[in-house]
Amino acid sequence: MKPIETRLARLARKGDQRAFAEIVELYKDKLYHLAYRMMNNRQEAEDVVQESFLRVFKNLDRYDENQKFSTWIYRIATNLCIDRLRKRRPVYSLDAETDHEGLDGYSMLPSDDRTPESELLLSETQKLIRDAVETLPVKYKSIMILRYLQDLSLQEISEVLDLPVTTVKTRVHRGREYMRKKLESKL
Amino acid sequence: MQKGMASIMNCKAAIAYMHDYLDRELPYEQTIELQRHLASCSECRMRLEALEKTDALMRSFPSEQAPPDLANRILKSLPRTRNPRSWTTWVRRHPAVSAAALFLVVMVSSFVTMWNQSQQLTVRGSDLDHVVIQGRTVIVPAGQKVDGDLTIENGVAQVMGDVQGNLTIIDGNVTLASTAHIAGKVKTIDRAVDWAWYKVTSWFDTLAYGS
Repeated sequence: MKPIETRLARLARKGDQRAFAEIVELYKDKLYHLAYRMMNNRQEAEDVVQESFLRVFKNLDRYDENQKFSTWIYRIATNLCIDRLRKRRPVYSLDAETDHEGLDGYSMLPSDDRTPESELLLSETQKLIRDAVETLPVKYKSIMILRYLQDLSLQEISEVLDLPVTTVKTRVHRGREYMRKKLESKL
Repeated sequence: MQKGMASIMNCKAAIAYMHDYLDRELPYEQTIELQRHLASCSECRMRLEALEKTDALMRSFPSEQAPPDLANRILKSLPRTRNPRSWTTWVRRHPAVSAAALFLVVMVSSFVTMWNQSQQLTVRGSDLDHVVIQGRTVIVPAGQKVDGDLTIENGVAQVMGDVQGNLTIIDGNVTLASTAHIAGKVKTIDRAVDWAWYKVTSWFDTLAYGS
């Protein structure tokens, strides 16, 4: 018996709208959480989630049922985030060269005027984690988010990012050390 | 790592073990080695404790929920139907086969059209006034003279008079009476291959030069 998502994907492929709505319901929060931590911006996170589901919808024919559905959908969303982060990088290094005192790359992020309640409720330690994750280089950031915030196994991460497990492992170890140093004062 | 390294295990190796341990991938024997090292190294004990807390804090990070209207917006943004994609995708994946299939369809349909047309009796010639047509039989009566060529498709020719030019019969046959006189050549085309070849060449002529 195939897992529920695989069966839903099969129905959606045949044009069942409700099956697709069910897939959206199952994954919207997971993808949003992933995208929000990757992009650190609500609007961009929403865009990524919307674009991810659109790609899933358009490419249902290419979904290989031997693969976990979650792996496939995480790969689509993660790649979208990575692409966007790579595209916005040069913009900030350009900004950094101008004479905006006190404005580093981080504060030059697109403004995010809505402060969600969930952010207000974060403890000092959690804010420290959020800021530390934000400063991780992209290749560590995606892995740490998938490992800790999405609870994926090393094997799953290797499939999502198309990297050898040994590479994933090394990056988790380095990422963990990085986070440990950032959180040192709180430990 | 080889066995027997426990007693001389350095901190660098111990840290690598710690990470494998936190990934739940450190085998039993190595875990014992790590324990021995920790028992004698307070720095590494603190390191492992800090890493364990980091792990726990990361895992307990509150998850974010998508805005309540996002699901609706996603569903509304989807294309109306995904059905047309199935064949366009196929076409894109097999361009050569698709082109060949399209060519075949055009060829077959034009052949069918031509075949249907060719079921009818057709008589061509510059001078048809002296010809009598009875059903599928084309008669050149005795004493009559046809100026120029005469071409008959899908019919029977019965020649008793004179034909000044060539007589061509396609998919039919000809009966020449003793009184018949044909100035040019008599040609009968009744084989399918000849017919097809004739049609293909004329079809390509049409393509190349227009009709």
